[in-house]
Amino acid sequence: MSVSEALDMSVRVGGLVMRNPVGVASGAFGYGEEYESLVDIDALGALYTKAVTPEPRAGNPAPRLADTPAGMLNSIGLANPGLDSFVADKLPGLRARRCAVIVNVAGKTEGDYIRVVERLEAEDGIAGYEINVSCPNVAHGGLAFGTDPAQVERLVRAIRGAQGARSPRRPVIVKLTPNVADIASIAKAAEAGGADAVSCINTLVGMVIDVKARRTVLAMRTGGLSGPAVRPVGVACVYKASRAVSIPVIGLGGISDADDALQYLLAGAVAVQVGTALFARPETPSEILAGVRAFMEKEGVARVGDIRKMLA
Amino acid sequence: MKRIDTTVRSIRKVAEGYFELRFAWELPDNGDPVIGDPVIGDPVIGDPAIGNPAIGNPAIGNPAIGAPSIGGHVNGGHAGDDSPAPGRFVTIRAGGRYDPALRRPFAFSDYSPDAREAAIVFQLRGRGTAFLADLKPGDPLDVLGPLGKGFGSPPRSTRPVLVAGGIGIGPMLYLASALAARADAGLGEAPTLAMGFRSAAYVPGLPLPPGAVVCTDDGSYGYEGTVADYLAGYDPGLPPAFYACGPAPMMAAVGRLAAARRAPYEAAVEQWMACGVGACAGCAVPLKSGAFVRACADGPVLDGDLVDWEASL
Ligand SMILES: Cc1cc2nc3c(=O)[nH]c(=O)nc-3n(C[C@H](O)[C@H](O)[C@H](O)COP(=O)(O)OP(=O)(O)OC[C@H]3O[C@@H](n4cnc5c(N)ncnc54)[C@H](O)[C@@H]3O)c2cc1C
Ligand SMILES: Cc1cc2nc3c(=O)[nH]c(=O)nc-3n(C[C@H](O)[C@H](O)[C@H](O)COP(=O)(O)O)c2cc1C
Ligand code: FES
Repeated sequence: MSVSEALDMSVRVGGLVMRNPVGVASGAFGYGEEYESLVDIDALGALYTKAVTPEPRAGNPAPRLADTPAGMLNSIGLANPGLDSFVADKLPGLRARRCAVIVNVAGKTEGDYIRVVERLEAEDGIAGYEINVSCPNVAHGGLAFGTDPAQVERLVRAIRGAQGARSPRRPVIVKLTPNVADIASIAKAAEAGGADAVSCINTLVGMVIDVKARRTVLAMRTGGLSGPAVRPVGVACVYKASRAVSIPVIGLGGISDADDALQYLLAGAVAVQVGTALFARPETPSEILAGVRAFMEKEGVARVGDIRKMLA
Repeated sequence: MKRIDTTVRSIRKVAEGYFELRFAWELPDNGDPVIGDPVIGDPVIGDPAIGNPAIGNPAIGNPAIGAPSIGGHVNGGHAGDDSPAPGRFVTIRAGGRYDPALRRPFAFSDYSPDAREAAIVFQLRGRGTAFLADLKPGDPLDVLGPLGKGFGSPPRSTRPVLVAGGIGIGPMLYLASALAARADAGLGEAPTLAMGFRSAAYVPGLPLPPGAVVCTDDGSYGYEGTVADYLAGYDPGLPPAFYACGPAPMMAAVGRLAAARRAPYEAAVEQWMACGVGACAGCAVPLKSGAFVRACADGPVLDGDLVDWEASL
């Protein structure tokens, strides 16, 4: 057996085993269909869907995008077809995937999250939930939850309570916002509420002004910053969060290559997600997986989960 | 669609601030990219992901004027189809490893199956296009495409009236030559092309189809005034079918002309893009109905009558 075959790339999150640590981030990949011809979806560790809300959402006014130094702003507004259409139209395709399908759940009220999770508990083909408590885009949206430890703990507890008798229980991953003073306290609140893992980071609030036109580029004025520019923020958040909790931390934010992913793994993440970099280079996830493997072979690390013990 | 690492064949300045970039592009062996089968019975545009109800197929002419011809057809192109048809586009990586993070979209301005070569005409705007303008023949080029939905064929016995402004010249020159070839083959009426520029310096040094009308705001070349001014007094001889690509005010003006003449109007829209493939809902184009469609996947060619040009201005 070659060294490479002996490498253990698997990642455990609650009762779920992902077969490798590289996933595609929510919102960058839709529900997978569009990237079919560009990405080997079955070779991914996980696919995190675009947010699902109880009702369909048309999204925010245009323009929704702005180009920034080594990054971008988006104010998509959680545009999605809603829970019913997700189950009827998107889930059948997702069910056929060999990678872990994690449904990103968003809402305006605690009841919204509960409705989505309760309904999806009755459906097969879902590996877990990523709870978006951090989307900075929608008025009265996730931001209030994600910035207040007490609300995060309550929401997670309520979601855990809404889970049925499935065995193994699907992991609840709480996706944290970096737009807080102390991310460690939010991570702890998620853990206290019963989260199986946290993922971080969601986007940072940003604004771009067109000086000539003297107006903001985004119709919503502010949007979420993502891409290479946010990577150092994400790595620091993962470092802090992973030292504050004993549940696994999944890292994302600006990951464009294996080196970026390794920074997150060294900082304490058990797995990573690729978002914005997919837009520039759809092959990024497979290149990262190959690069992480090469690193493990070179350094003589047998299990991907051991990388996080290597930070000096 | 695919992402390919190709090479620059040539780059040249064609007008003040405008460049033509030609690059190697191989088509799979599935026939002629331009005159293909009719694209009728395409699914309705719009994805429930951005809350759009069925709004009809933009690549098919206005039924009030007549059904699309079933003979030879300008291939509208669609996802999964690799033909670089007029109106479709590519996204190009225009910079270094991390920056800009987003690819830049450009419409095909030409495709030559013999030379296995495609082209775009672009306007210098910012850092991405500045990077492209500095490329040299033989340089590597990272291209993703063909993307989006192209133009449909004009309804029978209509005069295709093509209108171009600014960055719209590339796709409209390409469409004009495709429609002219189609007319030569007896499959439709010859198109007319009207193009608007600020002044003579901006008129591209590209082969223009016979009868093309150039309008300049300052009258330094051709007709003095906007293309809309020109078209208001133009008699196409036949019921017109409008095709346009350019700045929003021009697109809105063509929309008013088309409405006044009850003519079909295929509009190639421009909206900033992130993924370019329909996955992120970033490139939303507002419709008069209040819904949004994705410029990259439902368009860029849309039924111009449905687009809310005011909200796009
Ligand atoms: C389908 C389609 C086809 C196109 N075809 C052509 C063509 O054939 N020829 C042509 O010349 N142009 C075409 N364009 C426009 C072209 O993509 C832009 O001009 C180009 O991307 C500008 O890049 P830049 O880096 O030079 O400018 P930048 O420096 O990036 O930008 C110039 C201005 O645009 C703004 N901007 C840039 N990117 C974004 C973004 N993602 N979101 C919001 N604002 C942004 C900047 O803030 C700045 O004000 C097309 C666009 C689309 C959507
Ligand atoms: C266009 C776009 C849409 C997004 N939509 C969602 C979403 O629906 N839910 C969510 O939790 N995060 C969403 N995100 C945030 C990403 O999942 C990710 O947390 C963030 O972009 C940082 O990672 P990146 O730099 O690799 O993109 C979105 C990001 C982008 C760019
Ligand atoms: S650019 Fe992503 S959907 Fe159009």
